[in-house]
Parts: sequence; C-alpha cells; structure tokens
Amino acid sequence: MSTRRTTDRTLRALQYVALALFVVFLGFPLLFLVTAAFKTQQELQSPDPQLLPSQWNLDNFVGAIERAGLGQAALNSLVVALATTVIVVAVALPAAYALARFQTRLRGLATGWILLSQVFPFILIIIPLFLMLRPIGLNDTLAGLVVVYVVWSLPFALWMLRGYVAAIPGELEEAGAVDGASRLRVLRSIIMPLLGPGLVATSLFAFIGSWNEFFFALVLIKDEALQTLPQRLALFVGSEGQVALGQLAAGSLLACIPSLVFFAIIQRRLTSGLLSGAVKG
Amino acid sequence: MHRSMKAVAGIGACAALLTGCAFGGGGGTQSSTDPDEEVTLTFQSLAFQDATIQATQDIVDAWNADHPETQVEVTQGSWDNVHDQLVTQFQGGEAPDIIHNEASDMTGFAQDGFLADLSPYLSDDVVDSVGAGIWDAVSIGDEVFAAPTVMQSYVVFANTAAFEEAGVEVPSGDALSWDDLRSTAQQLTADGRFGVGWGLRQPTAPFMNLALGFDGTFFDVADDGSATIDVGEGELAVPEAVHAMAYEDASLDPVTLTQSGGDVLPGFLGGQYAMYVGGSYLAQQIADSAPDGFAWTVLPPLAGSDGSAQGTSPQTLSVPAESEHVDRAAAFIDYFMQADNLAAIGQGDCLIPASEAARAELEAATDGQTGWSEMLASGATLEAAPFQLAADYPQWKDQYATPAFQEYLAGTISLDELQQRLTDGWDQVGS
Repeated sequence: MSTRRTTDRTLRALQYVALALFVVFLGFPLLFLVTAAFKTQQELQSPDPQLLPSQWNLDNFVGAIERAGLGQAALNSLVVALATTVIVVAVALPAAYALARFQTRLRGLATGWILLSQVFPFILIIIPLFLMLRPIGLNDTLAGLVVVYVVWSLPFALWMLRGYVAAIPGELEEAGAVDGASRLRVLRSIIMPLLGPGLVATSLFAFIGSWNEFFFALVLIKDEALQTLPQRLALFVGSEGQVALGQLAAGSLLACIPSLVFFAIIQRRLTSGLLSGAVKG
Repeated sequence: MHRSMKAVAGIGACAALLTGCAFGGGGGTQSSTDPDEEVTLTFQSLAFQDATIQATQDIVDAWNADHPETQVEVTQGSWDNVHDQLVTQFQGGEAPDIIHNEASDMTGFAQDGFLADLSPYLSDDVVDSVGAGIWDAVSIGDEVFAAPTVMQSYVVFANTAAFEEAGVEVPSGDALSWDDLRSTAQQLTADGRFGVGWGLRQPTAPFMNLALGFDGTFFDVADDGSATIDVGEGELAVPEAVHAMAYEDASLDPVTLTQSGGDVLPGFLGGQYAMYVGGSYLAQQIADSAPDGFAWTVLPPLAGSDGSAQGTSPQTLSVPAESEHVDRAAAFIDYFMQADNLAAIGQGDCLIPASEAARAELEAATDGQTGWSEMLASGATLEAAPFQLAADYPQWKDQYATPAFQEYLAGTISLDELQQRLTDGWDQVGS
C-alpha cells in the first residue's frame, strides 16, 4: 500500500515537472519577446546574449509607435476583428444548426464544399476576390476587409459550430417540445446555453484569425490610415532579411495586448459555458 | 426537395452575379489628361531604415512643392510579400503609379507587359549617369522597365583590431584577390577564432553575382527570357574557394555557411571572425550595433581572374503600363534619380547609388569614412548578371541550385556532382 502511494506521488511529481517544462517551452517565445523589446540594439546583436536586458529601456516602444503608427493600426484591426467575429457567429449559428439537424441532400454537398474551401491557398483566391471587390467600391476599405475575412472564416466556423450542435442530444429538444415549448423557445432556452462553449470557441477563432491576418490586408488596403497591425509590423522587416528586432519585438508585444485581453474576457465564458452545458445536459 | 432546388438556384445566381462583377471590372485605361489638371500619384515606397524613409519623404515634399499639378503621395509598403501584392494589383489594374521594388522581381512583370517603357521619359543626364551594365538589368530589348536607384555589392568587412593583434596588415589597394583573401584568412585563424565568417544560408545569389569576377555568367539569355546554362570553371570558382577555405584551410567557420548574414554578425562584433563577408547594407547594422571602440573597415572589392565585376539586382522605380499618368510618374522618377536624391537614399540604407554622379556626391558627403570609399568603389563594377533576365531562374534557384550549393558547402557532394546537379536542374526546368 505504502509502495503504491509512493509510486503515485512520484508519478504526480513527474506530471508536474512535465507540465512545468511544457509551460516553460510555451512561455519562452513570449519571454524572449518581452526581454528583446527592452534591449538596446547592441544587446540584441551581442555575441554573448543575455536573457534579461542590462537596463530596461523604452526606446524600442517609442520608436515602434512613432515609426509604425501602431495606435491607429490597432484600432483598425480591432474594428475589423470585432466586426468579423460578430458577423461570422451570426451567420454560422443558424447555418450550423440547420446543417446539424435537418436531413437534406444539400447537407452532404454543403459539408463537402466547406471542407473543400479550406484547401484553396490564399494566392489562388485573392485575385478573384480583388476583382470582385473593386466594382462594388470595397477595395481599400475596412468593410471590404471584413467581407473577405467573413468569407474566409465562415466555412471553418460553420464546421466547428455544426459539431457543437450535433453533440447536443436531440432528445433534449424533443423533451422541450413535449413540455409545450415552441421551437424558438427550445432554441433560446435549451440549445443556446448548451452552445455557449461552441460560440465562444468560434468567436475566438474568428477574432484571432482576423486579428493576425496579413496577406489579404496587404493586398487590399493601400491607404496608410486604414492599414492593420500586421501590415504595420511588417515595416520592421526590410530587404535582404534585415529586421529591426527591438522595435519589432516592442510592436509585437503591444499588438498582443488586445488579443490577450479579448481572450482573458472570453475564456471565463468558455469555462462557465462548459459547466452550464454539463449541468443542463 | 423543392426548397433545396431553390437554394441551389439562389447560389447559382449569386455565383453568376459575382462572376459578372469579376469580369465586368476590366483593367484600367490609359487616358490623356490636361497638362494643367491636378493629379495625385501614388508612390509605394519600401524604404526600410529611418534615414531612408525620411530621405524619401523629403524628396517627395520637395517635388510636391515645385509641382502643384502633379502631387505625389507616399505609401509605406513592405518588402514582405511585395511580389504577391503586385501580382494581385497588376491583375486588378490597381497597382500604385510609382512602384519601388528590385529589378529581378520586376523582370517577370515586364515580360508579362505590366510595366511602361520609361526610356522616352528619362533625361539624358540620368541615362548617361548610370552605367550601361546596370541599364541591362532593367531593360528588355530597347525598353527600360525600371529606373535603377541603389544597389548592394558583396564586400569584406574587417575587424581592424583583430588584424593588429595578429600582426597582419589590413589589405589596401584597388582590389582584393580571392587568393589574398584566402591567405589573409589563414593568417588570422588562431586560438579557436576564424579568419572569415560568411552567412551563406542562401548561397545562390552571392555565388551567381560574384561569379562575374571570374567571367562566370551561368546563362545565355534570349530576349524572350529563354536561356541555356553553362556551368564551367568560372561559374564554380567562388563555391570552390569557399569550400577550400572552410575545409582545407579551416580559416572560414563552416557553421556560418548554414547561417544568415544577420546570424553571423554577432560573431564578427564579438571578435570570433576577423573578416565578415556580406552585403554592403550590413554596414548600417554594424554601425548601429557595434560595441563602443569596435574598430572596423571595409576591404577593397573582391576580384577574381576577370576583375572585380559583380552582378547586382538594383532597387528600382517603375510605372504600371496601365497607369493613367505614365508621363507624370516617369517625370517624378527622373527627378528622384537626381544625384543628390540618390545620394541621400544610398547613405540611409548603406547601399550604392546606381548613378555615378550620386556616388561622387555620396563620397563627398561621407568623406569616404568607415568603408564608404571601398563600398563606392565596388559600385563602379556592378553590372547586370544574365540570370536576372532568365525567365525560369526563380524556379531553378529554389528547386535545384540552392539545395545543390548547400549540399556542396556541407561536403556531401563533390564539385563535379554540383556541376551536374546545376546543369540537369536547368534542363528539368527548361523542359
């Protein structure tokens, strides 16, 4: 008995060690980003690199903000990412429900198309998209970028949500109907709470995808006042592989903040949604 | 079922509508405008260093002040994915009126007819000030698809303190032969330190450009971009010399052969390598990053059996063929090419102006300090390398040349096998 307890403790300790190593592994790039943002150019190019800067200076942040106009770019990214998220979720939700619940011949076709649409490389679709947006005046506008991001995110979001809807037992809806609830009431009171985690996960996917996206924005947005964060951050990379590493690190760190805040807010919902789903299920 | 059919019909109608939009847009048309009419041209600049960004803006501001009828608006673009961006914008007829890029990337667009011929618009002063060899890099037949602004050459940076410590004289004169480089590197190799560090992770471009010093041209290119390859002694002289320094002399750190130029820089600044071979633009990074008291210079241009010629892919300014204001955009480019403007751009990026007048101006402005004399001297022998005009070069480079050079530098294939791989690869691409 005592031997077994010792073995359990050893196993648990090993698990914690493995977990700690994993966290360090995941966290190191972020740590590198933070320390690089505060180092001078000399320290960044030092042949004897140190993890921490000798002096924490803010020059890179000042340089990054002045050079790249990160404030306006962050606002543009935020507008585009939020609009994309809202529209994607609003469109994907009823579509996913229909795909999961209604038995039609169109379902197989639609599902196949959704999967197929994910294999097209960006470069293949960008020219037709560009040509389509131009005559309707959406080139070089944030609205046009939102349209593109919605089109790009929607298939996968739909696929994700369809899985969440399918995982909810149909018997719950039948039970609600037997109790006299209308279809809308069933959707609002039974399905929506259980779909909470799925909606949160889909929102995260849509938000982070459009927040980080670079190539479509590069091609579609020419007006500097409308450029997004990834576009502005690309200015720190020059020809022949030159990189203004300190400013790039500072800019990237600033660019991470809204994304982290969004995740921090929404991940609590993810947890509560999971719990509420479990109780109700 | 009925509902499904309706949905399918709806989707079809939407697709047809979108397709109609796509093909109904068409390309732009070249319209003539009243010379007094005020127009605004878009100029996508890829300037990277702060000083160059400022210099570009100053040039544009000065132009705008003198030319109220033709205002230029700068948009700061990025080197990252600029090719794909231009592909899309050319297809959509919405490329900027003035395009900043490099010659080798613009060649394909010119061959596809997307770029205007600038030759009728450039002034004699500008044309005469740039060497014929450089014009070759931006010309197809008699048509000039871009104006060359600044260029980079491969130079040898030297840690002069390491030379002094080893009792080795810093090479001087008009040129540095490869044999002298090799013997100097041997003298400087001691105590775990190497004579040379050279970031050759992407070896194809440096080998192709430096081969010109040995009369190694690699390709014979026709006007339509079709080319035949010839890999002989001249073409293989530089990789052979690098290989010998790394493995026979052990005076070149073989680890650096797998690194980028930026990766090797800390080792140079830390005294690990007495010499460091790379693009002239690295002078800016050395100046910015070197520890206090670090003494360095640039050695004379590398010279092979045929002199110190090097191939170069200049940075360029072009105008889309579909721009509504080709003449005005070209007039701005002609203004941009004035000596004082190119000198300012070159100084900001540590790149060599394409025009002789600008090089003279830059020499005077920098007083030849900290390597500028040597870097500018290397600019006099820069010229177009045939590979820049070979239509299938990018594919050959990525699929065959770069892996073959890397394997040779790693010691896994012989020089004969390298020659065979390069030749066979081109045959594959060509077929």
